[in-house]
Amino acid sequence: MLKLFLWLRYLRKKKIVFLSIAAVALSSALLIIVSSLFTGFINAFEQSAVEAVGDVVLVPPVRFAEYPLLIERLEQTGAVEAATAMLSGQGLLHLGGGNVRAVNVWGIEPARRVRVTGFKQFLLKQKKSAQKPSFEVPGFADRVGGFVGIGVVAKPNEKTDEYDFDSAETIIGKQVILTTGAVMETEAGGEKKFKRKTLKFTVLDIVFTGVYEFDKKFIYLPIEQLQEVLYPNEDGLIASQIQIKLADGVRASDGLAQIRDVWQRFAAKRLGWGPYLIKQTTITTAKQLQSQYVAEFRKQMGILLLIFGVISCSVVLLVFCIFYMIVETRQRDIAIIKSCGGASSSVASVFVGFGACIGIIGSGFGAILGCIVTKNINTIEEWVRIIFGLKLWKSSVYMFSKIPSQIDWASALSIVLLAVIAAISGALIPAIIAVRTKPVDILRYE
Amino acid sequence: MYKIILAFRYLFRKRISYLAFLAVALCVFIVVVVMTVMTGLVTDFKQKNHSFVGDCVIGTESLVGFAYYEDFMKILERADFIEGVSAVIKSYALISPGGTERSIGVEIMGIEPVRHSQVTGFGKTLHYRRDDVSKAFEPIYDPNLAGCVVGIDLWLTRDVKGEYAYGAAPAKTSLTVSCFPLTAKGALAKAGTGMVNTKTFYYSDTSHSGLARVDSSLVYLPFEQAQLLCGMAGPDKRVNAIHIKFKPNVGLENGCKKVALLWQRFAEEKGGEKKAGLLEKVTVQSWKDYRRAFIAPMEKEQTMMIAMFVLVGVTTVFIIFVVFYMIISHKSKDIGILKSIGVSSVNIIELFAGFAFLMGLLGSCLGLFAGWLFLLKMNRIENWLFEHFKFQLWDRTIYAIGDIPNAVDLKVLTGIMLSAIVTCLVGALIPSWQAARLKPVETLQVSQL
Repeated sequence: MLKLFLWLRYLRKKKIVFLSIAAVALSSALLIIVSSLFTGFINAFEQSAVEAVGDVVLVPPVRFAEYPLLIERLEQTGAVEAATAMLSGQGLLHLGGGNVRAVNVWGIEPARRVRVTGFKQFLLKQKKSAQKPSFEVPGFADRVGGFVGIGVVAKPNEKTDEYDFDSAETIIGKQVILTTGAVMETEAGGEKKFKRKTLKFTVLDIVFTGVYEFDKKFIYLPIEQLQEVLYPNEDGLIASQIQIKLADGVRASDGLAQIRDVWQRFAAKRLGWGPYLIKQTTITTAKQLQSQYVAEFRKQMGILLLIFGVISCSVVLLVFCIFYMIVETRQRDIAIIKSCGGASSSVASVFVGFGACIGIIGSGFGAILGCIVTKNINTIEEWVRIIFGLKLWKSSVYMFSKIPSQIDWASALSIVLLAVIAAISGALIPAIIAVRTKPVDILRYE
Repeated sequence: MYKIILAFRYLFRKRISYLAFLAVALCVFIVVVVMTVMTGLVTDFKQKNHSFVGDCVIGTESLVGFAYYEDFMKILERADFIEGVSAVIKSYALISPGGTERSIGVEIMGIEPVRHSQVTGFGKTLHYRRDDVSKAFEPIYDPNLAGCVVGIDLWLTRDVKGEYAYGAAPAKTSLTVSCFPLTAKGALAKAGTGMVNTKTFYYSDTSHSGLARVDSSLVYLPFEQAQLLCGMAGPDKRVNAIHIKFKPNVGLENGCKKVALLWQRFAEEKGGEKKAGLLEKVTVQSWKDYRRAFIAPMEKEQTMMIAMFVLVGVTTVFIIFVVFYMIISHKSKDIGILKSIGVSSVNIIELFAGFAFLMGLLGSCLGLFAGWLFLLKMNRIENWLFEHFKFQLWDRTIYAIGDIPNAVDLKVLTGIMLSAIVTCLVGALIPSWQAARLKPVETLQVSQL
């Protein structure tokens, strides 16, 4: 009770204590914001891969046939909820009027794809439809339809970094030409040469994933039509990779083991592949695909937190200074407590406890401030743009069109704990000085 | 004199001053290290962009390009402020390396290597033909073949130390390059046939500009060949850009203004020509404006970092404030005596401002020295950490960064030092003001002594 009384009294009488609360709050808020934004970015980075390619990707060293059978077998295992094939290539897209873009071409099965990834929600037009996405061109059964990334047909506004969706949608229904090619045997046979191919298709929809690289570089075509263009001599359906969604509750390691097992049997028996080709096949989770970059981002986050953490150590110095001053000016209080029989530990606990209070209050305010800033980071960034004309976040630089604004509670909790420990550390030496105070020296008449 | 004596006395006699001194030194140390690395990266990036582009670019974003460039180049060559000009074809192409089934979408640049090296740092980016740029497009293994220079990241991978494994000579590899030939109106030149232009080149060298986006997506081709492939040859030849280098004594802004004026006159003269419409979209930009989209994000990050350090610096202001507050509380008798012998309030403020200045100066000197020492050894420390713990500040297989930049910039150091001193002065402001307001009659009362 006495301790509480003294803490409240020091808080009320010593306004300078609020400085230490402010410093603790400021440092914790800064660290929480930095760690939350970084963690949010890393999570969004990992999630973007899952949304683009599913949970697991199976990539053989060369394209392979009979993929519908493989998908069927994969889906028969309890580990796989759905799987879809993809045929990839690269090309140049001529949008008319001297507008040519280098693009990545994905041959996909749209109806299957929506079961594996969040593809449908990225389609500006067809996401509103109750039906599954389709490449069918209404009224023109013989035409090939395709989807293009929004960044292929439009540029984000220089100031706001937002796409003009209405203007981008004007391309829907227009025909564009894709130039691509593949290596194939010459007519004379024997030597393999690169053969260019062109494909005219009608733009049916715009894909907006919010991930700059996907939006800027990707176009999507029906897998069968792309195969006809790239590999006209192939019999049967071929794919360059299989993208898989795991069933709910299946652990990634278990899912990978089952998929690997199905693939090995399929490749050996149906494709007649030898052990070398089978071993060269990569079967990995989407998150593992990004692991090198994620590790790098985490390292950078660690370095940044270390830098700010070291500077935040000055909070310890600040608390020390303030507590030292309190101990110096409140020696009579200490002497009275001791003269009334208060143990040294009680005196120490007054100051250590007060330090903990400062830490708890400061880091509490810091956590609130950090959460408010993190949650509203996009609004703050927008206001910075409006007031200072400075666009801090651009999707072309930081991949995503919006700043990931999730709070990293685990880091926030650690930071709050560290802040309390820092405040207690700052109070420790003044507490020892207080303990060593002798009532007889302080309370002497003269 | 007494101000200096007292300032030094407070600094060295009062142990609590050491804390403030240490806080200043710590902040300065961190800021020096981070800002030096950051500034080094930004400066290096800017230099590489400058080297890649030259001083000024006359160009259009449209792949169609613009005509009559030869006439304008003659005008530029006659200008006394211009050292070199180089016409450039820029477009996209699909390349397929021989022996592989891959086809890759890339950017192509058609250049005349000698001219382009006079204007930009192209020659220095080569590996095998660095000493004889005129042979950049002549493969060492067969100079009669049409060569091409490939962005290094398209061809080689970096090892963990960020170095590339060059062979003794370039391996004989063919690259099939397919381009869109466009008419002056922007339509496909061979629309009726659905054809594109394709030609096989042979790998002659790699170009390592140090710009990740350039090195991973750019293929240089001989100027005439690129012009043919892109459909820009013919009676009214077209290019996409003219890169310019100014003479050493010509300022960037001044030079660009002069070029813009020359271009304006030229465009007006050509107003009646058949393809004058293409000249309307042509702009004259300095290298900084031309590469703004790439440079600006790095500058912004630097600004954001400074803003964060300013926030953190507030804590240092608090520390200085508290320390001064304590010192003034303890030294109220000194102040009382000084005022009683006629020292004015302004002089008291000056005394503590001097003390704050001294603290900022010495603290920042210590921080600067420690920072400089750390920067000097930083690459060695990183190497040691990598050898023993596999830790690198940046994974060199991902980032196109060599050594950690550690060249100390005097401007940055001066800025940091001044900021530290200002921080100390701000922190000392209120306590000094309070000290100045102390009345000798109150502080020198017998009961207070």
